[in-house]
This record gives sequence, structure tokens and C-alpha cells, in this order.
Amino acid sequence: MTENETPRIGVFVCHCGHNIAGTVDVVRVAKEAEKFPNVVFSTDEMFMCADSGQELIRTKIKEHDLTRIIVASCSPRMHEPTFRRVVEEGGLNRYVFEQVNLREHVSWCHMHEPEAATEKAIDLVRMAVARAAKLEPLPIKRVKVIPRTLVVGGGIAGLRASLDIADRGFEVVLVEKQDKLGGNVIKWTHMFPSDRTGTEVVEPLIERVESHSNIKVYKSSRVIDFEGYIGNFEVTIESQGRKKNETVEVGAVIVATGFEAFKPKGYYGYGESPDIVTLDELQAMPRQDLLLRPSDGKPAKKIAFIGCVGSREPGKKGHEHCSRYCCSAVAKAAADLRDRVDEALVLYQDVRTYGRGHEDIHRLARQKRVIFSKFEPDEKPEVTVTDGKIKMRWRDVLADDQLAFEPDLLILASAMIPPSDVEETATMFSLTRSGDGFFNPEHIKLAPLTTHTAGIMIAGVAQAAKNASESVIDASGAAAKAASLLARGEVEIESTVSRVDPDLCSSCHTCVAACPYGAISMDDSDPPIAVVTEAKCHGCGTCAAGCPSGAITMFHSTDEQILSMVEALLVPSPISGGE
Amino acid sequence: MRSTAALVVGGGVAGMQAALDIAGQGYKVYLVEKSPSIGGRMAALDKTFPTLDCSACILTPRLSEVSRHPNIELLTYSEVKNVTGEVGDFKVEVLRKARYVHEDRCSGCGDCARECPIEVPNEFDEYLGFRKAIYVMFPQSTPNVYTIDKNSCIQCKRCQRVCERGAIDFEMQDETVELSVGVIILSTGYKLFDVRKYPRLGYGRYRNVITAMEFERLINAAGPTQGHLIRLSDGTVPKNIGFIQCVGARDIKKGVPNCSRVCCMYGIKNAVMAREHDAEANVTIYYADIRAFGKGFEEFYEMARTRFGVSFMKGRVGEIEEDPVTKNLRFEVENTLTGQMQNVEHDLVVLCPGLQPAEDLDQLAAMLGLRTSSDGYVETMDCLASPLETDNPGILVCGCVDGPKDIPDSVTAGSAAAMRATILLSGGGK
Repeated sequence: MTENETPRIGVFVCHCGHNIAGTVDVVRVAKEAEKFPNVVFSTDEMFMCADSGQELIRTKIKEHDLTRIIVASCSPRMHEPTFRRVVEEGGLNRYVFEQVNLREHVSWCHMHEPEAATEKAIDLVRMAVARAAKLEPLPIKRVKVIPRTLVVGGGIAGLRASLDIADRGFEVVLVEKQDKLGGNVIKWTHMFPSDRTGTEVVEPLIERVESHSNIKVYKSSRVIDFEGYIGNFEVTIESQGRKKNETVEVGAVIVATGFEAFKPKGYYGYGESPDIVTLDELQAMPRQDLLLRPSDGKPAKKIAFIGCVGSREPGKKGHEHCSRYCCSAVAKAAADLRDRVDEALVLYQDVRTYGRGHEDIHRLARQKRVIFSKFEPDEKPEVTVTDGKIKMRWRDVLADDQLAFEPDLLILASAMIPPSDVEETATMFSLTRSGDGFFNPEHIKLAPLTTHTAGIMIAGVAQAAKNASESVIDASGAAAKAASLLARGEVEIESTVSRVDPDLCSSCHTCVAACPYGAISMDDSDPPIAVVTEAKCHGCGTCAAGCPSGAITMFHSTDEQILSMVEALLVPSPISGGE
Repeated sequence: MRSTAALVVGGGVAGMQAALDIAGQGYKVYLVEKSPSIGGRMAALDKTFPTLDCSACILTPRLSEVSRHPNIELLTYSEVKNVTGEVGDFKVEVLRKARYVHEDRCSGCGDCARECPIEVPNEFDEYLGFRKAIYVMFPQSTPNVYTIDKNSCIQCKRCQRVCERGAIDFEMQDETVELSVGVIILSTGYKLFDVRKYPRLGYGRYRNVITAMEFERLINAAGPTQGHLIRLSDGTVPKNIGFIQCVGARDIKKGVPNCSRVCCMYGIKNAVMAREHDAEANVTIYYADIRAFGKGFEEFYEMARTRFGVSFMKGRVGEIEEDPVTKNLRFEVENTLTGQMQNVEHDLVVLCPGLQPAEDLDQLAAMLGLRTSSDGYVETMDCLASPLETDNPGILVCGCVDGPKDIPDSVTAGSAAAMRATILLSGGGK
């Protein structure tokens, strides 16, 4: 379509089963839309996203020679890519598609006002029609993918992901901040459900990683600078003991930065006695025939565990989540240690031995006469330390009894929380974090391994608290996402970027400071003009909003496109048919 | 002859993910699904925990993506009959059951079903609703092609007369095709425990004792009641609902020694949905332990208690009895937190069954020479070193084949199985 041709707009209103049609009179919305300027076709349909709905769009584009497509359905978050593709299959540019959200924005939030909801739906469609007339096709750009992956973190997930990608035939750069690989798992003495130690599990992986011709390992190293875009990232690595920083180019990134065990200061006397330790600290104790107390090295005869330390605390930021691994880990450690002590006790809120074979560990612990006692979340056990002696008092819920115990060693199953430098990692790779402090996946159900930053994956505990075998599966999954990208060799980038009009730019630097992605710089002309690096631009529009001179155009969200919508709402044009 | 194609058996959310992640790397994938459409169990769910995302809404784009992918060949309404050979060179016999509708000619318009005079209970709606003898499983069925259920059709051929595209063919025969593949991924899903094995809970005798899956279809807009939650005895709206957890999970005597991982959360989600449908309804969950262990699960559980007003009682439910007049349900339950026996009454009881291996997994495993555990799931080699590999090289598992999993864990395993499969296909990892 050329500049001065009249747009021919098609409107498709979705029932979404009952989701929209149960509240909004979709038939009426479609009928009203027929009267809006430039609309030459309008209809309603049960499921626009289903194959039948997609086919309908393709057919009607041809039948009515449509040049602009509006689908009034659900949130564009999910289906915009679907409909953009359909529009392309119908022979149009994907950017002449406009989606109206009649579900989240209308039917779901105005469930009890069908009349008003229908009016609002008609208004939103009218606005979309006005905008659609102003939409412009944008070029589709593809970039090459550098066939190399950066893996951040050399714990069990990072090791597995590195090996999978390397075995698949692509290069890997593995960056670990500690001076050795193996992460948290390597310290562990009681892995479950098998009987191996963490070292036995991780050592073979480390050996393979360190000798693999496709993997380059950087230990005692950090990523200090990260730039670029999907398929073409530039990573600067700083290594201790090396004078010069190294710069590597990669096409994809897997963040596998793991966790730190919470140090529960202020919980159950932690810090008041060397004999009150976290599960993580217990795991790091050397394996011996007897369990020795840290305070005096004498054998511990009575031990106790407390669960949910720093986990499952409603309203406490970063501590509301279940740490997922601890119930089974405590059962395993208690069962293992039971043979070396006289008494072992586990205090718990719920027993969450959910995994296959985990119930067996719990049963084994019970068979070995480990005592399990349930406490209520609002009646936490009391722990006091006097003259080095640990005293515990609590109410056992199931027996409704006040109980007391004096363990030689008290082990606190403390929460899995993100490492202390998690915020730096988040900033470095433009990742967002959820309430548990770990990184947000792209979609919690269907895209658990990718993130909202294209080309950047998360794996293992970087995504949420979980156990080692779950982390390993995550790692292979994230590796698959990276491998898909590398195997394709090229990838599409965003066309909805901003552009500076050099004639209007007043060299004030506002946009340079405002851009969260470092995509804008000043050129060397005099006076300098702001220039956008399109591949880095995410299309957020912050620069355009901030520019005091109105020099910045945000493609696909131009002033004209937005203002036409406002106008359509406030001053509806006289009703006129499209043809 | 080495093959670089992959076979994925089972087109649920795990199998679809595995297929997409292999195809995305440029390899050919055959995706075999025994029902007429891909989508699996997730297609029948109403909402998903912990975000209350509508299941169809998040699954539908995935269905399209799979059906559109140039490297994925869909073989729906098909079953794997025999496998010979070894990694890199498997020969697979697939039975393609006759749909009596030509896939390439049917446009899914539904004229045939409108014309069809035969109605039979719909398995997709847990037999609560009806479908025609020519049908699609659900509105977003993929491929969008009708299927004639030969057992209930009367050969009146009215559908054939109205089909403008000439897609219907009563002479169609079952076919067997042979595929050559290098790797095989099993993603055959699960079946729900048969709650009839607990006669004391009254399922099948009392109309208002239903399963979670029946509840799921009752609250679903595309379900048999267009999303209206009603009692099956009299069509009234239930005001006092009890959810009973762990029905056929963590019970060694019933052959289900493990926890099913999803029931706590789907129970809570359904309880929240019951309150969403009717803010006046009392909703109680009877549980053994609440296992809200996944990302965002504990927070969702907390929200169910505090914001959505779902009541929770830790306790084992005794024998359920029906009031012959009101059809309400009464039972005794020991509140384990207070130690007191309580008599309670509900006008609807929802049983939340645990998961078991899919119906024919044992035969499939036997055919492929895979070890299964006492509870029937496929044994993998090693939960840390090779968690998705079986003893038979080149055969991998994901989803619920090696044990119960929720959606994100199934999806993750699907991607992971794809990775391990493509290493084999690329000849790497030696």
C-alpha cells in the first residue's frame, strides 16, 4: 500500500469461548465496527487463535483486499506473535496488525456490567481502527548468530549446560567467580535419593568440562561488561591474577548463578553456639565414623533438625517461598546420621517429600526411628543457649504436647536464597526478579527457561529453589534453547525502534541518559546529534517521551498513531461505511 | 542407514516441547499422538496454578506452533506398534487409524457435526457432556480436522452429504507406515488414579461426589455446562464444597507409594476457582500435607487462605454418606491439628486423585526393553548424570513417563530430552 491509498481495514472480534462473549456482546461490537472509517469487513468468531480463526484472517485478506488487520480478543502478550505471523502468511507486513484486548481489559474486569463492558469494547475497537489507518509497514531485519554460548556459573547446572552445548558441537565460555568449579553441590555429603556425595556427582562433570575442546573455562572470574543483542553479545571478562580483561563474542547466554544458603541470624539461636549450624554447614563437615560437635570435637549423641528456617514466611520479602529441596534433604541427612547418634529429631511444618523415591527416604528415616514432630507456623520452637547447652521447647501439634529436647547439635534447614551479587547479575543481563529473589522466566508455565531478554536463558536455582536433579534437567533444557538459536544461524530483531531527527535534535543528552539499554550515543558532528543503535534498542519509548524537542520518533508508536486513538475516543468521527 | 530424524511419542505439553526444540535445531521430527488432536491433558484443564492462567489460552499458540513447524510431521490418531533397531537406526511401525475424514480436505467448519443425528457422552468432558459421532475433541483441536467415531456412527452418511469439501470417506482404511528415526522420546503422560478403588468415598454411587477432572470440565467455558458449576444430582449451584486430597497417592497398599506432585496445587487452584465462581460458597480442603513446593506455589497457597478465603483442614476423611433427600454428603473427619473428630456436611465433594503411569506404558516399555519401577513408571539411568536416558540407548523420556510432574517441570524435561536427543543425532558427545 502506498502513502496515499485509503487503508482497507478488517476487524475480527473473538468470543474466546465464554471468556469474552459471556460478558461482551461481541456480535454487536463487530456490527458497530462495520460503520467505522475505512472498515471494509468485520465479523465475530469463536476462537481467533485457533487454526480456524487464523484461516479466516488469511482468507478475508484475499477476499476483501484488506491492508490493515484488527483482532479484538485477548492480551497481545500471548497472541500478538501468532496474529502477526498469520497476517504475514496473508501477504501483509506484520506491523499493519493491531490487537485490541477485550478480555483482560474488558470482560474479565467488568464481568458484572455487560452493558458498559460492551460500550467500552466498542470504544476500544474504534480507537484501534483509527490507529490502524495510521500504521506503517516496517522492515523485518535479520542478524547472524555467533555460534558460541556464555554460561555464567560453574555449579552443577552450569557444568551440565556447558557440556550439552559443547557435545552438540558449539563453543562454550564458562565463567565461574570462585577459584574452582562445582558450586554448592560439591560440598554436599548426603545427596538424595542416591547415596553419593556431591563430589562423586560433580567431579566427573568437572573433568569433562575442563578437558572438552569446545569449552573455555574462566575461574576466579566475573563478567564486568555485557553489551549487544540476541545472537551478538559482547562479553568482557575480568579474571583475578590476569592483567588484561578479555572480550568474547557470544550468540546466547545461560545464567546459572545458583543460590546461597541463608545464614539465619536471629533464628533459633543461630550464631549463639558453634553447635547450631545450617544444613549447608552440616553438609560441609567432613564425613567421619562419628558426628563431631564443632564446639569441642566430642561426638554428638543427640541431634535435631528444624525445617523452614527463613522459608515460608508470609509477608517477609524474599522469604515467602518454599525452598523445595530441604524436606527431602533433611530426611536424607537424618536417616544417614541416625546410625551414628543415639537420638535424631526433625521438627517440621509440613513434610514435602514430593519427588519420586523421596517418600522412601522419609519412610527409611522413620524406620530408623528418627522422630518427626510437627509445629505450627505461628508457634515456632524456642531455642535457648545457656553455658553452651542448647535447649529446645515446642508444642507438638499432633500430640498437642509441650515437648523439650537438648541436642548436642542443632541443624537448621535454611532457605535457598539468591547469591549476594544477584542484583548485579540482574542488571548486567537485564533480568527481572520475582518475589523469591530469583530470576523471572519468560512464562512461569510454558517458558520456564527463557527470559524476557531475547537470547538469555536461566537454569537451575537461578530460576527458583530446587534440588540438584531438577537443576540438571533445567540445564539441559536451557542448553536446548541456546542450541536452537545457534543451529539456526540467524535471528530476527525488533523493528519497533526509535529514530532521532537530526534537524530537531538540540544535543541536550536527555535521551542518552534516559535509555536503559545504552542504545543512544552522540555522534561527532558539531553540535553532536543523538544516534540510536537499532540492534540495542528495545523499543521502550523512554527516549521519545523524554525528548524536549520532539525529535524522536518511536516506530509503531508514533505521536500520530497514539493521538489518533485519543481523538477517536473523544471525538468519534461521523459514522461512515468503508465502502 | 543412520537417520537424523526423531520420533516423539505423545503430543501433550512435554512431547510438543520436545518436538519444537528438536525441530528448532533443524532436525525432522515425527510426533505421534494416539488421540485425534495434540494438546494432551492440558487442553482439558480450565485454569493453571499458580497464576490462574487460562490453560487453553497459553496452550493454543503452542498447538499452532507445532502444527505449523516445517520440520514437524504430525501423526495424530496414530499408535506406535513396533520398534526394531538401535540408536541412530530405529525402524518404527506406526498404525494410522482411519478417521474417515481426509485431513487434507477437511477445513474444520463443523457442518458435518451440526448435521449428525447421533449424540454420545463426550470423553473429553469426562462423559458429562455430549458430542456427535463426528467430532473434534475441543474447539482448538489440532489438526483442525473432524473424526468419525465408527463405534457410535450409524452410517446414515448425512455428514457426507453436507460436507462441501468432499472430505468424508467411509471407505477409509487403517494404514501402517514405517518410519526411520535415530532417537525416540517417550512423553505418553499419565492417567488419573481410579477413585472407585476407595469405595468408602462413594464415587459412582453418589451423584455429588465428583473427580477433580470432572470439576475442571464443569467450570470450563467450553465444557458441558458452559462453565456453570452445578451439582449433578439436581443442577443447583453448590454452596458448600469439600475437596479431598491424596486420593490414590502416598498409599503403598494401592500401589501408589509416591506423592503425585500436582494434586495439592490443582486442588487449591480448583478451590480458588470455586470461590471465584461463587463468592458466597464455603470451600474446604481436606489434606494430609500441603506440598506447595514450586515457584510461586507457596505464595499461591497463602493467597488461597488469606485472600480467597479457602478453608484448610488437615485430616483423613472417613466414610462418605449421602442424605437420601438433599443428596448432600456427610462424613466424619479427624482434624489432626486439634485431635477432634468432626462431622461435616457438603453439597458437593471433589476427589483429587493422584497420578499413575499412562494406560499402555507397560506394553510400550516392554516393547522397547525398558525397566519399570514397582509403581509402573519408566526407570531412568541416573537422576543426576543422565536423568532422562533409559537403559536402551537412544530412547529418552520426559513429562510423566518417569514419574508425576507439573506443567513447568514437564516442559523443562521436554526441552532437556530434546537437547540430549540432538546430541545423539548430531553424532556428538563421544
